[in-house]
This record gives sequence, structure tokens and C-alpha cells, in this order.
Amino acid sequence: MIVAKRKPFEEIKELIEGYKKVLVVGCGTCVAVCLAGGEKEVGILADELRLSQKSEKEPAEFGEATVQRQCDREFLSELDDIVPQYEALLSMACGAGIQFLAERFPDTPVFPAVNTTFIGVNQDVGWYEERCKACGNCVLGMTAGICPVTMCAKSLLNGPCGGTNGSSCEVDPNQPCAWHMIYERLARQGRLDKIIEICPANDWRNQKPQTLIQPGYEERYESEK
Amino acid sequence: MTTAKNTREMEKIEIATDVLVIGGGYTGLKAADSIAETGYRVILADQKDAGTPGQSSLFGLQPDFQNSLDGLKDAVKANSRVEFLPEARIKTAAGVPGDFTIRLTSDGTEIEKKVGAIVVATDIVSTPLNHIYGLDLSDRVISLSDFEEKLSSADFKKKLDKDKQTVAFLAGFAQDGNPLLMKRILDSVLAVEEAGKNATAYVYINDIKVAGDNLERLYKAGRDAGAIYFKSTQPPEIKQQNDGPAILLHDPVIRSDIEAEPDYLVIEEAMTPGQVNSELADILRIDLGPMGFLQTDNVHRFPVHSNREGIYVIGSTRDIQDLSDTWTDVENAVLDIKQLLGDGTKEVPKFCAVVDREKCVTCLTCYRCCPHGAIYWDDKAVISPVACQACGICASECPQEAIQVTGYSDDELLEQIRTEISGIKNGDPKILAFCCENSALEAGRTADLFHYNLPKGLRLIRVPCAGKVDIHYVLSAFIEGADGVLVMACHPGNCKSETGTTFARWRINNAYQMLEETGIDKNRLEFVTLASNMAPDFAKIAVEMEKRIG
Repeated sequence: MIVAKRKPFEEIKELIEGYKKVLVVGCGTCVAVCLAGGEKEVGILADELRLSQKSEKEPAEFGEATVQRQCDREFLSELDDIVPQYEALLSMACGAGIQFLAERFPDTPVFPAVNTTFIGVNQDVGWYEERCKACGNCVLGMTAGICPVTMCAKSLLNGPCGGTNGSSCEVDPNQPCAWHMIYERLARQGRLDKIIEICPANDWRNQKPQTLIQPGYEERYESEK
Repeated sequence: MTTAKNTREMEKIEIATDVLVIGGGYTGLKAADSIAETGYRVILADQKDAGTPGQSSLFGLQPDFQNSLDGLKDAVKANSRVEFLPEARIKTAAGVPGDFTIRLTSDGTEIEKKVGAIVVATDIVSTPLNHIYGLDLSDRVISLSDFEEKLSSADFKKKLDKDKQTVAFLAGFAQDGNPLLMKRILDSVLAVEEAGKNATAYVYINDIKVAGDNLERLYKAGRDAGAIYFKSTQPPEIKQQNDGPAILLHDPVIRSDIEAEPDYLVIEEAMTPGQVNSELADILRIDLGPMGFLQTDNVHRFPVHSNREGIYVIGSTRDIQDLSDTWTDVENAVLDIKQLLGDGTKEVPKFCAVVDREKCVTCLTCYRCCPHGAIYWDDKAVISPVACQACGICASECPQEAIQVTGYSDDELLEQIRTEISGIKNGDPKILAFCCENSALEAGRTADLFHYNLPKGLRLIRVPCAGKVDIHYVLSAFIEGADGVLVMACHPGNCKSETGTTFARWRINNAYQMLEETGIDKNRLEFVTLASNMAPDFAKIAVEMEKRIG
């Protein structure tokens, strides 16, 4: 899932300073699951904002709305009639959701209330760890299910480097060396020959904004290409 | 040759019976009046830009059209069963037949209405095509609509005769034209000739479109009365001088130049649907057809039906129509609405396509794929039993396998695939044909009944639409031991569910690739389109498949 973290309150306050009517928009999918931007967090942020306005002569107003996903236009359309009543929007969705919201309401300033951090896993309530950089060329088959792009500080595809300290990384002794972990697991599975294979460099030109059409749907969108 | 059984339990549901009519021109008024007469309450949204009232297109030169239109408008406004909403604009339309929620503005106020059915009755917009001829409109170079209005005055007609005036009509060079436009021109030509023996009509024309009731007779009447026709594939040269237009045409029949300086030059008009059509198509989620009319060319589509149950398109909304066509459409819509809404209770199949709410992740794939607009969502996808046509496109697109069609569930079909294949005698090439029940199934049954030469190992699997054929079924058939698989859909544009054939084709093209990747000769799979009367072709395709894989 996509994991996000709420921005510091001071930063959010600064972003929306001067707007008298702000709608806090939550998203009910990834950011809700990682406890950053669901209906509950929308309510909390709106309350915080209201509290901070208490001493103001003309306190700003804050509305709340949470859609199932800000990355689907059908769900965003539920906001069509609400948004015009506000001067600004404060989105708690991931970066994709925030941009899709801003695209739908180009006349209204949209501000982020969360920082989108990574694609990760849920270790326990409120505890998430990064696992994937969405590099577009998965090598997990030859690296024993451990991603060197994400887990190695240098994103090396042929490791380890000279900076490995046994099991930890030279940049941070608390950070395990990804290639050490890969070696260990391949050895355990009796597949150490895999580490000898030279892995060609990823085509990093794929890092431009991408469009993905699933096989089977290609003909459907042929005319739009 | 067995087929899946169709068990359908029925249930009674309550539905809304109010009807929304969109469009305040003649067609909309007539529809509102006729529907109210049957006892339903009507909300008439007078959408200002839903075309000009289109009287001249509908009424031609009928002298009292304004009176009859005004009379109808007054009667509709006075009808207690009709709520007239002036200056209306539809904003959103959610829901399904029997339960639409419409949000609109009327005179600036927001209104929400619950209706059971929607009738779209927008009108034609007439636009003079003078710019294509490089002409400016003036007192003497005028549009057909303006000339029709002049003809409604008896003094004008008297003057045509008294001053020995000539009227030239120009048509067919700026556009292809159509019989209704032709009828309007022929009416005007005859009216000029009948104004008196000194008034003359010239018609400069390319093709004369007379494929309509009485048009040949009308054409002949005009000629008999003295109208002169110049038929040419090239437009004449026209000069706009201070003292009026001058026309020069090289007549290809008598092979000489003909000059004329008519008192009036009447320019043809384009008759197109209003801009509002594309907007309404979007809001109502109905298909926009050729030229911006609100109906696609589909043989399964009854005259006033859109691709969505409970939303009807009538009159010039769906095609260029004259008054009698429009009346027929209104009557058809009334009949359909009575059948749909009845007394407000409706028997519907308890299960058409059913969503497993536990499995649904609200990805909206079904909502986006349903060609009947039968799907909406609360927190999970919901399928309206009134609107669902059980084509199964959604079921085969659902990424969670959360939708099943009663009688055609994945389990039932996979079981059938297994049973059919295991029932084929060893030695005969095993061929499974997935047949759309609207076309290929009938063709296959006929081929069997007429004892066409069919492969012994051929078995038919009935599907409600080719759009129900899941890639999974095709792959399973091969896994279970099929030697060949046929997926047989309706011809493109003939699919009862509009996009079923297309979905099937997309999927099978995808499956070809999968077969190649897995090392199976893709010639063992074939996607074909058929009509129900194509039994010989059915047999030929099946036999060819047998030869190929045998």
C-alpha cells in the first residue's frame, strides 16, 4: 500500500493561512489504512485547525469530506457541489490523489496535509516499512525476494559494495546491508549461483511520468494513444 | 448439445412512476401531454438550449403552427399532472430505471426529483449554410427558415405574383442534404408557384432527396406548376451585387451558360442536433450516435430506446424527423413507459447479475463497463434488477470474481465445460464453441437441425452474450482437453449489449497471446462473428476448425 505521514501542524497552518473556508478532504483507501488520511484523521485535523482559530476574531471555517478514493474521478465527483462553497482544499490523500483532486477543481487552491512517503507494508498498528520503489523492472526473482533498489542505500543491482560491514550498511550501522540479506537467503535456498549473474542496469529513463494499460485493454484505448 | 439452464426467481419491487421529459419544443410538449394523459405525473424540463423549437422543420409551411404550438404549451402548463420547469438545466442523473434521482436547476434554483423514466426530446437546430457558398445573408439572400416565415404572409405571396418576382433556391452543394430538408424546399417551391402564374421558382440543386412519403409527388407538383430545376454537381457562380444576387450556371444538359438575377436567393440549411445532446449523453450515460444524435445504429435497438433501460430518445433527439415520425415516437415512448412503470410495482428477476458484497472492493470496473448503465454503488457495487440485461460483461470483467450471473455462474459454466469435453468420444477432435444466445447459438442449432456436416466432437456452450466469455473459460477448456475453441459473437454493431462483441474480441486477442506464450498453437482458438441465420457459415467454421486441429 501507499504510506503517507501527516505534515507537521505548523506547516499545514501556514499553507492555508488567509483562507477563511477550507475543506479537509480525506481518502478512504491507502492513507486510511496507514492511519494518515482517512475519515478519522480528517476529523482530527479539522478539530485541530478549529482549536487553533479559537483566539481569532474571525475564525476560519473548516469542512470535512472523505471519499473512497481520490484517485478515481467517479468518487471525486461526489465533491462537485461541495467544493465551490470553499476557498481552499486540504487533501490528506497520497500525491496522486492530491493531484487528481487539484485537476478536477482547477479554480480552487489545493494543499497537501500529508507527505507521501513510500510503498510499504504494515508491521503492526501504525508501523510501516518501505519495501518498493516502483522502479518498473522487478528483480526480486534473482534477489531472493529482497529488493536491492529499495533496501540498498545505493540501489545497487549487483552487490554488495565495498562499504558492507558484515551485515550492516556503511551509511548507518542500524541499516542492514541488503546484499548481505540477499546472500543469506539465497544460501539458505541453495541458489547462490543467482548472485553471480550480472544484472543489467535498469533503464532509468522509465522514471518519466508513465501510463500503464493492462494487457487485454490495449485495443480499448488504441485510438487515444 | 446441451445448454445451461436458466432459473429465474421473480420478486416484486416498488418503483417511482413520475417521468422526466427534457426539451421544451414541440416534441417535448407533445410527449409531456401524452404521458400525462396516461395518468403518470410528468416533470417537463424546458431546456432552453435543447435546440430551437424546430417548428419550421416539423411543421413546414403549415400556416397555424405557431398557434398549435402555443395552444399545446398552454394546455401542458395548465395540466395538473405536468410540472413545467422553465429555464431548466440537468446537472446530474443518478440511479436506475424506476429510481432515477435527477438534480437540475430551473430559473436558477436547485431542484432534486425522483423519477422512474426519462424522455429526451431535444430539437433540431437549423443553421443557414451561406458561409459555405461564400454569401452574406441580406434582404434578398435569405435562409430557408426566414423564407418560410415570409411565405406565411398572404401579402408577400400576392407581391410575388404582382411584381413578377423570381425566387431561386440553392441546395445540395454545401451538404449531402436529407429528405426532410428536401420536403421543406419542395413545399416552398410549390408555394411560390401557387402564389400566382407570374411568380417563378428556380431550383439549383445537386441530388434531389425524395426518399420520403409523398416527396416525388410534391416534386412533380412543383414542376407541373412551373418550377424550373437546374441539376448540377457543381454549385453555380453567385455574385452578390448591390441590386441583388446574380447566378451563373453552366447547364450540363443544354451545354450553355444560364444567367439569372432572382429577387430572392434562398439558402439551404444544415439540420443538426443541438449542442446539448453531447452534454446530455454524458450526464445520462447514454451513447452518442452518428452526427451527435442520441442513438447508435444498432439493429437490436427499438425505435425510441437508448442503450439504457428507462431512458428514451424521441423525435429529432435521435434522427432528423418530420412531424408524423415524431408523433409515432411519442406514441412508442408512451407505450414503453406504460410497460416499464405499470402501476408502480414491478416484477423483476430476483437475481440477474449479483454482487458478492464481501468480495467487492468497489474498484468501479463493473460500473465503467456496463453497457446498460445498470450499475451504481453505495459502499459496494449495486446492480439494478430492472436495468440489468444479464449480459454478463461485468461478471467477466470483475477482478475479484465478485459478480455472478444466475444460470451462468463461473462454477456452472466451468462444470459444463468439463462435462461437455469429457463426454466427447476419444478420437474425435474436441471442439468447444461458446455461442452467444442471440446469434451463434441459433445458427448452431439450425445447422444441427438441418443436418449440416458438423464435427462429431463439437459441443456448444450457451452464453447470454459473447461479452460473458471469460479468458478463464477459454484457458480452462484447453486445460480440460479441448483441441479447439470457438468464441462466436454477434457481428460488430449487432450486439444486443452494444459492447459485448467488442469485449469478447479484446479478450480473445489477449488469449491468443497467452496461448502462444504457453506453447499452444493459437490457431486452436478462433473468434468469429455470426448472425442467427448463418447456419451454413456456422458449419463451415466448425468443420474448418476440425480440419485445422485434426
